[in-house]
Amino acid sequence: MTPAAGPKSEERTTLRADNERVRPRFFRKSGLRRRLTELGIRSLLFIAAVLSIIIIFFVILFLFREAVMAFSEIGVSRLLGGDYWNPSGVPPSYGAWPLIVGTLLVTLGAMAFAIPVGIGSAIFIACLAPPRLRLALKSLSEILSGIPSVVYGVFGLLVLTDWIRVTFERPTGETWLAASLILGIMALPIIISVAEDAISSVPKEYIEASLSMGATRWQTIRRIIVPSAISGITAAVILGMGRAVGETMAVLMVAGNSAIIPSPITNVFSPVRTLTATLGIEMGEVARGSTWYSTLFALAVILFVITLVINTLANYILARLKDKFRPGARKPERAVLRRWLRTRALRLIGKDGTQKFELPAAARTWLGRAGRAFFVLALLWLFVSWFGWLRGPVTLAVLAFMYVGYGKLAEKNRQRAAFALITAAAVTMLFLVGIILYFIISNGLPAMSWEFLSQSPSDLGRKGGIYPAIVGTLVLVGGTLAIAVPLGVGAGIYLSEYAKEGWLTKIIRAAIDNLNGTPSIVFGLFGLAFLVLYLDLGVSMLAGWLTLAFMILPTVIRTTEEALQTVPVPIREGSLALGATKWQTIRKIVLPNGASGVITGVVLGAGRAAGETAPILFTAAVAFTRFLPDNIYDPVMALPYHLFILTTSIPGSRTQAYGTALVLLLIVLPMYAVSAYLRFRIYKKKR
Amino acid sequence: MVKGKLKIGGAAVALVVLALLLSGCTSKPTNEEKAQKITVSGSTTVLPIAQSAAEAYMKDHTKADITVSGGGSGVGITAIGQGTVDIGMSSRELKSTEMTQYPDLVITTVAKDALVMIVHSSNGLNSINLTAVRGIYNGTIKNWKELGGSDMPIVIVGRDSASGTFGYFQEFVMKNENSTSLMLGKNSNGAVKETVAQTPGAIGYVGLGYTTGGVKALKLDVNGALIEGSAATVLDKTYPASRDLFMITKGPAKGLAKAYIDFILSPAGQKIVQAQDFVPLK
Repeated sequence: MTPAAGPKSEERTTLRADNERVRPRFFRKSGLRRRLTELGIRSLLFIAAVLSIIIIFFVILFLFREAVMAFSEIGVSRLLGGDYWNPSGVPPSYGAWPLIVGTLLVTLGAMAFAIPVGIGSAIFIACLAPPRLRLALKSLSEILSGIPSVVYGVFGLLVLTDWIRVTFERPTGETWLAASLILGIMALPIIISVAEDAISSVPKEYIEASLSMGATRWQTIRRIIVPSAISGITAAVILGMGRAVGETMAVLMVAGNSAIIPSPITNVFSPVRTLTATLGIEMGEVARGSTWYSTLFALAVILFVITLVINTLANYILARLKDKFRPGARKPERAVLRRWLRTRALRLIGKDGTQKFELPAAARTWLGRAGRAFFVLALLWLFVSWFGWLRGPVTLAVLAFMYVGYGKLAEKNRQRAAFALITAAAVTMLFLVGIILYFIISNGLPAMSWEFLSQSPSDLGRKGGIYPAIVGTLVLVGGTLAIAVPLGVGAGIYLSEYAKEGWLTKIIRAAIDNLNGTPSIVFGLFGLAFLVLYLDLGVSMLAGWLTLAFMILPTVIRTTEEALQTVPVPIREGSLALGATKWQTIRKIVLPNGASGVITGVVLGAGRAAGETAPILFTAAVAFTRFLPDNIYDPVMALPYHLFILTTSIPGSRTQAYGTALVLLLIVLPMYAVSAYLRFRIYKKKR
Repeated sequence: MVKGKLKIGGAAVALVVLALLLSGCTSKPTNEEKAQKITVSGSTTVLPIAQSAAEAYMKDHTKADITVSGGGSGVGITAIGQGTVDIGMSSRELKSTEMTQYPDLVITTVAKDALVMIVHSSNGLNSINLTAVRGIYNGTIKNWKELGGSDMPIVIVGRDSASGTFGYFQEFVMKNENSTSLMLGKNSNGAVKETVAQTPGAIGYVGLGYTTGGVKALKLDVNGALIEGSAATVLDKTYPASRDLFMITKGPAKGLAKAYIDFILSPAGQKIVQAQDFVPLK
């Protein structure tokens, strides 16, 4: 992340060369034993790396392999473009188009809400808030990213859908709007935290220069800070989008799950069904090897491809951001490629490629006008379809008037107006978060008692406690970490310290990054098909461990690698120059310096494993069990799944449901708080 | 030094775990070895019977461990067919495709249930005939006023495809005509009831145990006779939409699975069935 980590490959090779020179002398002195240790460690790390990479590629290949049958049997165009999804009908129909549209619409709606609120809050935190408030808000948003999606789902189902039904006088609140609002709230923390990072890493000199030229603070924010941080802000938006696309449980609980395309397409009060929700609903009942089964894998592949596009975009933009503030940065290869392509294209139409191609001035004005007219018409259409022929245009006119009015204001008043809006965004964010937390805590506290924490549930969870679920969740997290941490940290160390940079590491990194953003329900599907059914592990703790471990493995590898890369090269060189071996250097110098980063990754992974429902839905979790698991082939109860069951299936268990949600928050949020604290410490150290 | 050892230890753990994973297929204990421990999963309709019976049975047999989970009849049938559980629960009969796919399943009827149409408690309607229900669910009847109620759009609530209640409804009421895509698909009887109780314009279908608390059960109009869904009308076969609830084993039930199913069929078990608002077999 720091500029020092910049041109990696050159520095790595010099490092290696030094090491080669040192090694022979060193080994002569220290003898066979040290040499063997060195070799042994290296092999172990190598095995961890290879295993992790095999697992990662295996998951991806397995998805594609199982999906092939659906694509060949149904046909790509009928599967992707078919507009009727009814796989259990007679005859079955597998048209995924409504599901794809549902996913896109829900994501779009979520972004329409989360982008203004998220970026407004980020600007507020970075530029307007006093330092103490800033720190508080920043840690708050980090911790919030840990609220499990099923908790959002409970809030959405019990509060939000009812509110929408009453407020907008609709027959039902389970709508596209509800799903988008919930997803928007869920995407806020990641958008705020990445955008805020980007905004506060804009060099001070830029801001000081702008202010000293007499610009107002708002002018500086608008003309200097935001444009400088625009890549980071874009990346934040894209990452938030990734979160929204991949979310399962919350959407499943509030979207209504009718596989229809809203009509008209702008009807936010129509129920919708997403790809992820379809996987969550249907994957338990499909027989292995059937067309339906394969079609669900095809849906997973579609999700995977959407994530791939989103991740590639985010990585590209983040990479550009890294280059931007580095003095003497090389032009990215892609810019060179683009220039080359343009030259070729111009030659084709007979222009001299060396000249800059420009449209005539008149054409450009007309294009600009046409663009603006199109934009206004599109807005008009949207408003008319939402508010009707009378209220739609009026609303639009009011907005246009406000926009024009803003242009006529004096600079000072413009700043006032803008700051008011930004503050409003931050207040909205705090209000929503406050409401959700208040709702869970105030309703959950009455359920708290020693019996609730220490007894098994009875009467379908309406009485008794949640002890087996608490233990189940902890056991799931523990086992998951026992698998993912050695593999992931080992692989991270190997990739960062031993592996030669080249096309292979690039591919591996790309695969890791992409799997990192892959929706958790896809791992659930993999776990069910491969671990539970094919390997015959059954619905068991072991299957849950492995599924969750595969899910957090990419995060652990990536954070480890990144943490180790931030350890400055001169320190390593110093250690090697004093005669330490490679492993001694890693153990005594690199790991201690990167430790907080590594731990952050592990804690984040643990939090995710504890809060996720989708991956364990059909691999590890059961609704009711009396005893604690006594071997790894036993299924377990888990808090998020128990909460899901109570809220959706057991009438009259509200108090217990709120209590379960509160306990889940009390387990997960501290983990995120620890990781936020560690990150903050690293950040301070870097300064 | 300690840290280094930790890392080595970690890598060793990883290897052990991998070995476990690879040997997973062979080292799984067989059903005989864990005779005192069974998993039951499937229909959310049968779930209350299974769980209450399990709680009662385990009170008397302190060593028995019965784990119960939901998911829907489709999940239960698939799970027992593929051998991931010991007993599958279903609220619909097996489809012929499922019969041929899993030929060795043994099906035991443990209770009866009625499928009851419910509406919001403020709804003025008191009865409905099956043709009208079909009209609502295939999307041709869109407003309550078409059935003589108030002018209010109908919110159609149903179950997702994993549900046996959905399967039964599709077969018995819809005569295999597809339900409209506008239907909100819920994952349990409880969820249907909660949604209907919250939504003034809603209609839904549930088992007998979910007809109170904010919802109103509609009587079925059979050729002019209004018949209420209840244990009595199910038993004397006057209520048309009644169904059997099943527990399914792979081959004849053995060990704890057999004892548990026998317990549900016993008078004490059938009392539990009744207490959970289902209809006992006799």
